[in-house]
Amino acid sequence: MRTTLSWRGDMLVAALAFAALAVPAFALGMQSVLDFAVRFAIFGLLAMSLNLLIGTTGLVSFGHAAFFGSGAYAFGLLMQSGGWSVPMAILAAMAFTALLALVIGALCVRLSEIYFAFLTLAFQMLIHSIVISWVSLTGGDQGLMGGVPKPPFLGIDLGDGRHLAMFSAFCLLASVVALRQIVRSPFGAALRMLRDNPERAAFLGMSIFRYRLAAFVIAGTFAGLAGVLMSLYVSGAFPTFLYWTTSGEAIFMIMLGGITVFLGPLVGTAIFLVLNDRITNITEHHGLVMGSILLVLVLGLRKGLLDYIVDAWRERREKRA
Amino acid sequence: MSQHDRGIDRRSALKASAALGAAAMTGFPMIARGQGRQPIKIGMPTILSGRVAQLGVSSRNAVMMEVEKFNAAGGLDGRPIEVIVRDSRGVPAEAARIAREMITSDRVDLLFDGEPSSGGFAVHEVVRETGTLTLHLNSETSSLTADPRQRFWNAFRVARQGIHDSIAGGAYAAEIVKARNLTRWMTVSPDYAYGRDTTAEFLEYLKAFAPNVQVIGETWPRLFQPDYTENVTRLTQGRPQAIYSCLWAGDLVTFVEQASLYGLFNQSQFFGVNMADYTTLQQIKQLPRGVHSGNRYLKTFPPVPGNLAFAEDYNRRYQTYPTNWAWQSATAVHLITEALKKVGGTDPRALANALKGLTIDSPFGADGKVTMRAEDQTLVGYAIGWGTTISADPFVENMTAADWTTIFRHEQEWKRSKGWA
Repeated sequence: MRTTLSWRGDMLVAALAFAALAVPAFALGMQSVLDFAVRFAIFGLLAMSLNLLIGTTGLVSFGHAAFFGSGAYAFGLLMQSGGWSVPMAILAAMAFTALLALVIGALCVRLSEIYFAFLTLAFQMLIHSIVISWVSLTGGDQGLMGGVPKPPFLGIDLGDGRHLAMFSAFCLLASVVALRQIVRSPFGAALRMLRDNPERAAFLGMSIFRYRLAAFVIAGTFAGLAGVLMSLYVSGAFPTFLYWTTSGEAIFMIMLGGITVFLGPLVGTAIFLVLNDRITNITEHHGLVMGSILLVLVLGLRKGLLDYIVDAWRERREKRA
Repeated sequence: MSQHDRGIDRRSALKASAALGAAAMTGFPMIARGQGRQPIKIGMPTILSGRVAQLGVSSRNAVMMEVEKFNAAGGLDGRPIEVIVRDSRGVPAEAARIAREMITSDRVDLLFDGEPSSGGFAVHEVVRETGTLTLHLNSETSSLTADPRQRFWNAFRVARQGIHDSIAGGAYAAEIVKARNLTRWMTVSPDYAYGRDTTAEFLEYLKAFAPNVQVIGETWPRLFQPDYTENVTRLTQGRPQAIYSCLWAGDLVTFVEQASLYGLFNQSQFFGVNMADYTTLQQIKQLPRGVHSGNRYLKTFPPVPGNLAFAEDYNRRYQTYPTNWAWQSATAVHLITEALKKVGGTDPRALANALKGLTIDSPFGADGKVTMRAEDQTLVGYAIGWGTTISADPFVENMTAADWTTIFRHEQEWKRSKGWA
């Protein structure tokens, strides 16, 4: 009963958020909002999926962009081959990243902490090298060129900026609702126990390997969906999508927003993107300015923004009580 | 890094050009009525930071310089051109984002895509969808315009093209081969798509013009490799009579300096397609004599007053010499302003039609003119030449101009072999 209630609550919040975006998008036609919505959905989904590993399961993956990029390439290649509808290609691309995550995860999740982090990084660089050297399929370092065709489906034309924004927002919201259900389910509770006390979980008869692998595959699949949206947005796929810097950015977004609060990564994504865009508009010393601001934020708050706010709010409430 | 451009940041440059435009307008009562009219906005995503910042900086410099001239002369019936330049940091996805944002949020009338090929293709895909008139300033990859699948009405290339350089280089090298009987060749080129494709194309045309040439070895340094000892050793051990390279900018500088130490240039004839550009020539401390170089940009080639004046004007403003990217960017401004004048407005369809087949007088043309070829919307007729290096200014002498009839003939055959013509 409780779960169905919270499920409905989540859906309601998601529907309201969707409406809040749809009104300015269609009534006012605010292009800048639409552009931002697409990128927010892409990176928000990437960060949220990664936080299932970092925040919930306690596995710091440095190779998450491998699934992001694989999703983008898989989708782009399927659409270019012709004969695939957009929804089928999205499902196939997600299935492909899930399979990839299953294989990589099976080898990685047996390790923990730094060994896990470095092995995921190694696999990511391996996939990056494959994409760079398999020129006939992927276009090598120039990326997947020639455009990604977007035949309309169910009245949705993703070549139209408004449709793409609403579709991206829909994917993000649906994924966030799904991720929240996963985190709050008994499975999610098990993941948290693995994070806090893996020995205890093992003594209770749980298979650490299977739970971690499941979390890894789920996170990889959602990252693949983020990659699909990216490929739709830029009409192509590029090796930078699966380079370690993309993984690094996702980790940064999570650190900025907060790892313990569920929506923290989304807040971090918003901060990161707004900073990035404003900075490229006013200066060409991007790295210097961005780095300084992030340094101040991290040193000043010592935790993610949403973590900080929630902690401060709890403290105040405790003082009153 | 170039300290000189730090003095003028984009905003002040914009303000200055706007002020200059405004001042010029008030000075001419004939067009003063145009004062209140909207500027023509051009968005320009390019690389302004990192290792290839010189690409974006010199492109921007040239665009600003030529736009100022156009605005000072009254603009388009009083409408000045305003340029918005943003840094993509060489990340294709950022280039696509910036292009999209310029189109939707800044509402630019057209784009000057200042990205190299990787980002250029990303911008290409964005404008394929939006239908924004776009001039690619720095994409040299042939397929961008040669492949009909890549082609659409609103995208044009105002840059040299890989295939043109390969044919011109092959023809020049074949003459030297015949004169000095150089049959044993090796190559040293960067290990990525551009390096491999360009080298393969050059060798194809070299063998077409001089069938007795044999390639006895290849070595592929990584992009941005700091140490070339291994590659130089392979080249000296192979004892080739001639070496081809499409290394460029900083990589070429490092390679040439290290190879000089091993006496490579005394042992073999060296053909560097990207050598004759001031970014490279002025950086090499002891430029070896007699290296064969293709022209990227030289103020002495083509040897016309307009070209020298461009270089001097650029040097006065920015305390450095123009680059290949600079002449291409300046040419883009020349072409688009000519089209704007013809059309009298900024309607993209009308401008695209005006650009198609447009021939303008140009100091960078092989015979004083360059043409935006209608059939594949790419620049032709620009000056290509090869010469040999000397250690001091003007750095390259004995320039031989490439023959465009030969280039056109072989380009057509190449397109046919690819199924593109």
